[in-house]
Amino acid sequence: MAQEPNEGLALGKHRGVMRRRVFVRGRGAVSSFSDAWPSTFQSLAEGHCAIRPVTRFDATGFPCTVAAAVDRHLNAPDRRLALARDAAREALEEASLLVDPRRLGVFVGAESGRAAFGTVLALARAAGGGPQFNAHSFAREALPLASRIEASAVSPATVASALAEEIHAEGPVQTLSMACVSGAAAIAEGARAIRMNQVDTVLCGGVGADVDPLMLAGFGHLGALSAVGVSRPFDTHRDGFVVGEGAAFLVLSAEPGPLEIELAGFGRSLDAYHLTAPDPEGDGMARAIETALKDSDVTCVDLIQAHGTSTPLNDALEARALRRVFGDALAHIPLSSVKGALGHWIAGAGALGALCAVESLHRGYMLPTAGLRHPDPELALDLVIGEARSGSFRTALVNAFAFGGANCSLVFRRLA
Amino acid sequence: MKAPVAIVGAGAVAPWGLGWRGASTFIEAPQPSRQLKTSHPDVLGFEIPELRPEQDAGDGRQRKLMSQGARLGAIAIREALREAGWMEGREDIGCFMGVGASGAHMEEIPASLEASLHDGVFSEAAFGERGLYACNPLFVFQLMNNFSLCHGAILEGIGGPNSAFYSRGRGTWTALDEAIAAIETLDCYRVLAGGTDSAHHAVTWAELRRDGLVNDGLKPSEGSAVLALERQSTCPLAWISSMGVGTVADNIPSPDAVLLSVWNPVTLQSLEDEMRLRWPQSRIYRCEFGEALAATPALAWAVGLDLLERGCSSVFVLTQDVDGWVNHLCLRSDR
Repeated sequence: MAQEPNEGLALGKHRGVMRRRVFVRGRGAVSSFSDAWPSTFQSLAEGHCAIRPVTRFDATGFPCTVAAAVDRHLNAPDRRLALARDAAREALEEASLLVDPRRLGVFVGAESGRAAFGTVLALARAAGGGPQFNAHSFAREALPLASRIEASAVSPATVASALAEEIHAEGPVQTLSMACVSGAAAIAEGARAIRMNQVDTVLCGGVGADVDPLMLAGFGHLGALSAVGVSRPFDTHRDGFVVGEGAAFLVLSAEPGPLEIELAGFGRSLDAYHLTAPDPEGDGMARAIETALKDSDVTCVDLIQAHGTSTPLNDALEARALRRVFGDALAHIPLSSVKGALGHWIAGAGALGALCAVESLHRGYMLPTAGLRHPDPELALDLVIGEARSGSFRTALVNAFAFGGANCSLVFRRLA
Repeated sequence: MKAPVAIVGAGAVAPWGLGWRGASTFIEAPQPSRQLKTSHPDVLGFEIPELRPEQDAGDGRQRKLMSQGARLGAIAIREALREAGWMEGREDIGCFMGVGASGAHMEEIPASLEASLHDGVFSEAAFGERGLYACNPLFVFQLMNNFSLCHGAILEGIGGPNSAFYSRGRGTWTALDEAIAAIETLDCYRVLAGGTDSAHHAVTWAELRRDGLVNDGLKPSEGSAVLALERQSTCPLAWISSMGVGTVADNIPSPDAVLLSVWNPVTLQSLEDEMRLRWPQSRIYRCEFGEALAATPALAWAVGLDLLERGCSSVFVLTQDVDGWVNHLCLRSDR
């Protein structure tokens, strides 16, 4: 049912310029806990952890043998799309908006999918099977094999294109392929499109389906995964992240709705430092946070949904960046990371963080950080441990920081 | 777009070489290579020429970590920054890039496969235990598409608002649109916008063939081009006066030149006929440097810039990507 626009709330002034405001109208997610967002949030609030030994393939000998896997759509040609579709459907059902298709956009954070591992190996064998890559042999042998790789199952753009077609969106359709920032960046881009009056409504979010041999071996080979198989963000004993998978989507609109929560602002930056290590000063992270706060016309927030990957470096630098921005006030801002419970969704991570922040503002309680037992005293953060913490929260910061140095921060605000 | 946007610098690396000046001369007399150095037998295509070490991206160690798209993107970003004279305050410069599939170095795969065998049979356990250790440890990161943006940003110190839009062409137009929006909304005052890609990667080539595009006339190419943009300038290289989707541009006076970058010969002829009918006084150019996917739109912008440099006062640039999306922009000079 279409909602009547509220002209009084529809516009806001920023830097002396009137611009459209952006409101949250729908939420949806598929996770290891559940295929419905309310159930997932409840499990998170109760401090449950979804990380389990990997059973989908033989992970013996892998640097890390656990993950937060989603046991759904296991035979789907493109699991990213299957997961995203479920989450998007839930968000759209809640939003329940009647929209001119030309004013509806789709913005998705996604990385490349993967062909069936057997096909990838067959391609490698087609390249000669010996120690050297044989381009001639590959050019000859790969064509029939390439037919078995559905381009749609591999292309990052598939998810956005397919969702747009299914919901008859004729507005902008974008794929943000930015590693761990993808989902948050997609939400930021969707909000920007509403502000610029290019669309009135967007479906935006991110999806990760990376519990597979290549990603587990690759991240493990880099030393990024927890050797003991525990995700414990901001813990003294944290030693790496655990891969997770899932999809998280929001519907944003220029019209306020029952949730009374708006995306007040966002900020993006690049570290310009290193491919896999963040800037040791946290400068890029701090700039993204500061930009998001300025964009929202706020100087402080009531809660922080951290990126919190459980790696020694990220968590320390995120704390440093937050301290640079908030100073002594940081000690009184409750903070948590959902990666302790659901692992790191890579392209979907930022969108999941956004959903958690929105829900916390809506329900009035902050999620605990699963896996966290011994808060690192050097970080000096107000960490929520064990069980959810109630409070009157009005503003929330969401952080997402990526391999390669891209950073994105979002600020959500409850209206009432 | 609220107002024309100034192009104050540009960088490109393409089959015509390094830089954008002279690009339009190349398209008037293109020279496709016969035997691509990536060893596609009997394939007519285009590839960038050999670069001197000082022209290439980073150093040898850094280049080993780069996909071809990342390498070319880093070169184009560097050149655009140099020409724009943006040496200070780079942490505030925005960067919006259209990127394609990163594409890992295929040479890594056989080594990984060999190490993953157990009793002659592939073993997932062996893959995890030693397979990936047999190749470049950052192999998996060559697959991260946003590294086509990040490598250049790291080398040049770019730290402002940014996005990497994945596509086979259309996303590069999105990158330009977002870059312009970033300076219009004062997210930043200086911004880079471009695209980078290679259609030569073995898997990409197999997919293009599988999709029938090669049979329809597609010639693979590679390259990168980046524009440096500001809201205002007293001496820009050129102005972007408008951009949009499709072939129709409202209220555009007849341009001096129309530049078409369309990979399909049949569609190209059809669009050329349409342009001749619409603007009979305009000279029409065809971008004959092959199809470079996410790089193609940006390369076309660079060629358009060169046409202005050679004396045109306005150029209408139109591209169609392999997925059928048509976009255009209008360039004009102050001359």
